[in-house]
Amino acid sequence: MNRLKLIFNQTLMISTGILFGLGIQALLARLCGEQTEVSWQWFIPLSIVLTGFLCAIPSVIFLDEEDPFGLHISVKITLHFLAILGVVSLCGRLFGWYDSFSEWLVIAVMYVIIYAFVWAATFWLAKSDANKINDALKDMQDEE
Amino acid sequence: MKVILEKVPTENEECALIKAAEVTEEIRNAMDLLENNCRSISVAEVSEDRTPGETVMLGTDLIYYTESIDKKTFVYTKYKCYGTKLRLYELEGSLSSNFFRCSKSLIVNIRKIRSVRSEFNGRMIAELLNGEQLVINRSYVKDLKRKLGV
Repeated sequence: MNRLKLIFNQTLMISTGILFGLGIQALLARLCGEQTEVSWQWFIPLSIVLTGFLCAIPSVIFLDEEDPFGLHISVKITLHFLAILGVVSLCGRLFGWYDSFSEWLVIAVMYVIIYAFVWAATFWLAKSDANKINDALKDMQDEE
Repeated sequence: MKVILEKVPTENEECALIKAAEVTEEIRNAMDLLENNCRSISVAEVSEDRTPGETVMLGTDLIYYTESIDKKTFVYTKYKCYGTKLRLYELEGSLSSNFFRCSKSLIVNIRKIRSVRSEFNGRMIAELLNGEQLVINRSYVKDLKRKLGV
């Protein structure tokens, strides 16, 4: 049940993230005076949700607490990174997000930046939680 | 049970009188709490080869953490390990609010945690006052935060 919940949450978060990225892209295009309207082919919204879902699966496989493989965290993060890059590349190819290698490279660079940002933000939040917990522990710690 | 509280001027005059038809586990727990400021549980000393030894009563405030291994429950103090017939979930019910479950098989005494540090995968490592380190699983971190009010 927890895994289903994790997949559902991740799908929502990733889909929202992609939509946010597209929104920023459209806003920048508007500010540069390039276009005033954005039009999508009928399958694009569904492709975003599908991509979000497929990107959530590696998280469940590689970042789950009950690790069936016993891999080191650095190996798991590398495999997670490559699996999602594979999903993004495949979905991009299927749904026509890029047509050439240079366009794929732009998507790959954006992905690397977003991936690094998400990990940095996650680690910063966890570190901030640890600091708050340590401060609270000082008040109730036994003396030994 | 009817509870009567009578105020006295000094601590020296404080005493509790329990009138009961039978000394049940609840009454024993209440007596432990009043006499020792904490509950006690029955545990058996465990040697290095994990064979049970003498049975003793152990104050729960001395417990660092408890662990379930192969359906057996072990209780750890600063230097010693004890075995108990209680299952982990039963023990959880007997322990005070200072204890919290940090994984499926571990319950730790918050007052015995020196510090925590975060790991990349959302887990935390708790270092206890005796230097031992325990993993706090990601899904239990929020319980710890809630208990500490952070």
